[in-house]
Amino acid sequence: MKGLFGIGSRGNGASSTPSPAAPPVRKDPQTPQITPLEKRLQDMGSIRGDGSDKFFGMENYGNTCYCNSILQCLYYSVPFREAVINYPRRTPLESLEAALAKNLRFPNPNAHLEAEAQAAKQKAQAATSPSARQAGVTPNQPQKPEDKESPEYKKKVALQTLPILETRNNASSYGMSESLFTSLKDIFESLVGSQSRIGVIRPQQFLDVLRREHEMFRTAMHQDAHEFLNLLLNEVVSNVEAEATKHNFVEKALPPSESVDSLSTMTPSSGSKSPNTTRWVHELFEGTLTSETKCLTCEKVSQRDEVFLDLSVDLEQHSSVTSCLRKFSAEEMLCERNKFHCDNCGGLQEAEKRMKIKRLPRVLALHLKRFKYTEDLQRLQKLFHRVVYPYHLRLFNTTDDAEDPDRLYELYAVVVHIGGGPYHGHYVAIIKTEDRGWLLFDDELVEPVDKNYVRNFFGDRPGLACAYVLFYQETTLEAVLREQAQEDQATSTVPAENGEAGRTNGYPLSPGLSHVHSASQVPSDDPNRVNGIHRIPTAPQMSTHPEAPEAEASAPQPVQPPQPPLPTIPDEQHPPLSPKKSDVQSRKERSKEEKERKAIEKEKEKADKERERAEKLRRKEADLQQARQQMNERREAEDFRRAVKASEAEMAKNNDGSELGPENGSPRKLGFLRRGSRSLSQRLSKDKEPRVSTSDLPPIPSPVPEAPQLEEPVLSPLPQKETPSLPNPKLVSRNSPPVAKDSKPEKTGRWRSLSLKKS
Amino acid sequence: MFVLPPPPPRYTIPVAYQAGAANGMAVPVVETNNTITHPEGGCPLQVGEALFLVPTVDSNVLIRDCAAGTYTLKDDLLLATPPPHPSEAPIVNPNPLATVPSPPTSGVKLCLVSLDPRKKPPTFLKTAVVAPQFGDGNPALAPPAPPAKEKDAQKRRKPKNNIIKSSSSFVSRVITHETSTKRLNDRDQNGVFAFANINRAFQWLDLSSASKEEHLTKVLFTKAHMLCHDINDMTKTSSHLDIVMGSSAGDIIWYEPMSQKYARINKNGVINNSPVTHIKWLPGSENLFLASHANGVLVVYDKEKEDALFTPEAPAHPEKDHSRLPLEILKSVNSRNQKSNPISLWKLANQKISHFSFSPDQRHLAVVLEDGSLRLMDYLKEEVLDIFRSYYGGLICVCWSPDGKYIVTGGQDDLLTIWSFPERKIVARCQGHNSWVSAVAFDPWRCDQKTYRFGSVGDDCRLLLWDFSVGMLHRPRAVRSHLDVRSLGSITNKLEQHHQNSTRQQHRSSIVGPGSLSTHRNRADSGGTRFRSDSDRTEKFVDGDFDPVENHPVEPRSRTALLPPIMSKVVGEDPICWLGFQNDCIMTSSLEGHIRTWDRPSDSVVHK
Repeated sequence: MKGLFGIGSRGNGASSTPSPAAPPVRKDPQTPQITPLEKRLQDMGSIRGDGSDKFFGMENYGNTCYCNSILQCLYYSVPFREAVINYPRRTPLESLEAALAKNLRFPNPNAHLEAEAQAAKQKAQAATSPSARQAGVTPNQPQKPEDKESPEYKKKVALQTLPILETRNNASSYGMSESLFTSLKDIFESLVGSQSRIGVIRPQQFLDVLRREHEMFRTAMHQDAHEFLNLLLNEVVSNVEAEATKHNFVEKALPPSESVDSLSTMTPSSGSKSPNTTRWVHELFEGTLTSETKCLTCEKVSQRDEVFLDLSVDLEQHSSVTSCLRKFSAEEMLCERNKFHCDNCGGLQEAEKRMKIKRLPRVLALHLKRFKYTEDLQRLQKLFHRVVYPYHLRLFNTTDDAEDPDRLYELYAVVVHIGGGPYHGHYVAIIKTEDRGWLLFDDELVEPVDKNYVRNFFGDRPGLACAYVLFYQETTLEAVLREQAQEDQATSTVPAENGEAGRTNGYPLSPGLSHVHSASQVPSDDPNRVNGIHRIPTAPQMSTHPEAPEAEASAPQPVQPPQPPLPTIPDEQHPPLSPKKSDVQSRKERSKEEKERKAIEKEKEKADKERERAEKLRRKEADLQQARQQMNERREAEDFRRAVKASEAEMAKNNDGSELGPENGSPRKLGFLRRGSRSLSQRLSKDKEPRVSTSDLPPIPSPVPEAPQLEEPVLSPLPQKETPSLPNPKLVSRNSPPVAKDSKPEKTGRWRSLSLKKS
Repeated sequence: MFVLPPPPPRYTIPVAYQAGAANGMAVPVVETNNTITHPEGGCPLQVGEALFLVPTVDSNVLIRDCAAGTYTLKDDLLLATPPPHPSEAPIVNPNPLATVPSPPTSGVKLCLVSLDPRKKPPTFLKTAVVAPQFGDGNPALAPPAPPAKEKDAQKRRKPKNNIIKSSSSFVSRVITHETSTKRLNDRDQNGVFAFANINRAFQWLDLSSASKEEHLTKVLFTKAHMLCHDINDMTKTSSHLDIVMGSSAGDIIWYEPMSQKYARINKNGVINNSPVTHIKWLPGSENLFLASHANGVLVVYDKEKEDALFTPEAPAHPEKDHSRLPLEILKSVNSRNQKSNPISLWKLANQKISHFSFSPDQRHLAVVLEDGSLRLMDYLKEEVLDIFRSYYGGLICVCWSPDGKYIVTGGQDDLLTIWSFPERKIVARCQGHNSWVSAVAFDPWRCDQKTYRFGSVGDDCRLLLWDFSVGMLHRPRAVRSHLDVRSLGSITNKLEQHHQNSTRQQHRSSIVGPGSLSTHRNRADSGGTRFRSDSDRTEKFVDGDFDPVENHPVEPRSRTALLPPIMSKVVGEDPICWLGFQNDCIMTSSLEGHIRTWDRPSDSVVHK
């Protein structure tokens, strides 16, 4: 029994001590440590050319975690990464290396040792005056400052010990002018070309471009990761298309086939069959939604297609992503203030509206609308609803004529928001890599995690961490089965070794988990690694901890943060309880229980009263909520009405003007160029307008090919104002969207999002 | 209006939710007593006098739902969540990204037991079950002591250790009710006992008692949580109940509540150290039970055998490529070495086995896994017959129709799926849950040879009731003009499948009783495309190079019938995780410990 208890208590510490042999090893600073990530990256073979074996953290420049998490998610989307690398052409590896030789800095090998020395000193200090140790280092930190489990500490260590990769503007070598796309490409290419598998990349240049072009990102404030994703994809689209336009002008004289050739060097794996190679973002992320509106007066069904780059779904407590998507497509009555303007009967009529997915995207980005505007608080509030998401998904809400309506998706990345509200907090990404399982990307820190870890962010667990954006990518059942078979094989060897290592009395750890527990180990220099001469002068400022933004703010950040003391104290082992003790304890406990029970009888009465009170409170709250909802509905109805009016006005204007596209479209295009990304999504959705059932034009099956020829003559005098890739210049819309997104109090309303908001 | 009580205390307090809530309620106190509430006319389940349109071959026929009426909520018993053991101080990790795995938990599950023969569900099997015992023919498993044959209740063997006086570190303590002996003596011998797990506690309740919220006995374990439990139907008497329970530690407890004796099996996970996800006595066996472990292993244990360190035994047929088989037999029931546990040990996959269920004819086993597969086994022969797949996501629960013809699964695709066992195919998908489906059960009192009633509960806090009849199921939702060739596989495959289908069908028809045999034959033959096969075909599959297991593809939505629920109701504020039908009520239990009981409509009579 004693032995049992020993095992049991070891189990308590098992999270930090992978094996009994580990602690003494860690005490020796000279022994090179292997990080959990390095452990998982063992036997990777030689460096690959496709970038799939690069696992870099990203430096946080103060609240730039929104950017880091999204960039990581995009990097590990294989088709997206390949498209970015290969468009317009791939930079030859040699020139990359030449560029990178300057950019990849290795830290001083002694930094690590110095840190150790400092830690030892600190430890000595601590031994003499424990209180001094407590007071010594950032007292406002909720965790013990030397807690090597803390992400802050691990990030510091990562920054100090891992190779640092600087990105550099290389736009000219792509034949493009510097833009958000080229800086993204810089990051991706640097990663691909890096000789190190792990490290920390500094997206400084990317952020510079972002901040230069978008005012809202200039502050060091917390930003919305989904908004950023949307902006980034839109920007990439517009950058690429703008460059292609320019390119076309430059090479106008050349035979068209050649220019196509130069473009078609792009990604073979994206499976793109489209002749227009600038559309690769569309081909990956874009899907088509059809909104079917059935007028209840004349029974006429009108359809309108719009494209989306991601879907934003409303959340309900205790629901699933599947259900949220189904609700998204649920029938909706347009009545009362929210009537539908029917062209057939002329006038506002009651109608039924449904949104269905007509074309399924290859990468489905799902935005869970965790931030909801609350009328009474006049601000956005975070919803902590429990919303479960499966590892695989199919869409129920497809139209009958959708191609491949049973397409299987697999979850490959989750962006998690940690924090109590929308205005502060932290983002991390959990990503399934191609062959190294799931990894947690927390700014500078990259850690392997178990597959089950992905399920910790349904929203019901303590810690304020909830999934915010889910990335599903298309897959096949065969691929899934193959992967499952591999999982079987990969872990089949583990149980044996696990079995002899002993187990806990309480919770045995599933065999697949064992590697996670080495998380406590301190990353260190790999002796085989080439050590550069450069040294990081100081650790950069740490990101604000999500849990304590106020605390962080009040604590003056030292210019030179104290060297993180490397704790040498092994994790506290829970002393094994002797059986005797446990007996005594249980006896004591028993008598205590008796006392407690009596006390509880008394308390019960109190509790009952309490409950009554709580009940009242709850009822009041429910009433409030109802009122709130009504307000919301009214507001939305108002918005709708406004939108309808606007659309009518627009329609009238359009009808006045020429039916020819260019004239009609160009002012808007001008506006779009001036307004940056704002109305890009609008333009994108207009691309598909011709599919409107009431349109005079026949639907254009393949929108792209004829575009250049059609537009070129018109274009030449107005080169700056046109985007020739516009498939159809005719932008007349009879059924303009009834939803006025801009006026909505949605946070995403700051610019028009391609994602579809259900109002 | 029925008002649900405030969220019950848990010690996994949903801090996130509290912080997020505008006016967070007071920090809940940890209660240690069960409470019961009798909501006034609350939460009725209305099963409409629905008429439903049943398309048959010639015309649509209206069928009146015979089981209409209103189920009324009788009471809501809230089990007290025990405070953590002192030795297990809750480790507060301020880092929400901590990669430390959390211990497996499950919500409250119930085992109901009654000696009243009237409470027995009706049986639909035409003939008595004549399935051989598991391990029949293995002399090593033959009962060694003939005196055990005596059916005298007094002679039932009990576990060795007294749980009250136990000094084990596994069991923390046992709290017996002051008047439990008196209560046991005075009670109606035909009343219903319930056993329920919550957190580290395991409670014994008398549901027929006036004070049913007061437990008879509460066993508190130190660290491990009991995740599942089962009562042996064969050995139950008024003075003896054999209960096995599986824990999050992998350990299994054999517990006899009347004498407060217990034994620990798979101690410290010596045989398998992965959590026990589901446990069931083998039908018709007094000693053997089957446990599924989270690492994809199915183990048959004997309650009276000692543990022994398990080493996989050499396969009986080394010539076969065992890595390819869907079932890796690491120890066969036919093994000569049966002195100690396990009796048999099969590895299905490296994925968690969520649930399993024995067929009413006691020959077959349906197992559902986290990888989304439903595996049908002939467990007596230790072979897998079919592998079906969920629409997507893992499967969570499974059950058989009382006549053994249908299997219903629920999973992470928010769907319930009906599979036909004799026809080896998907029959319909049932859409109605808003989240994952956690439990499903047939209502045998509302089933007959033509119509079936089953219920399901899920993480969406809902209870749904479903009806289906044989006629309405064989219609796809929409017939496509063009066939999706890709999803169907090649034509040859399809034909091969048909061939196999009909072979199996004949093979299986014996188990569903003579009455149903003709129906299936007829349906199969009317299909026109099906081949008749000679009987030696089956042989060929068994020893030929064919994989005898059929891996069924996922049927596209357009070719599968979609069934709506007849009733859907939010019954609580926390995920519901168990559902049971009794002759007079429906019961559910939830993650946080609410056990709700609905009386059946009094006016409705079982229509036969």
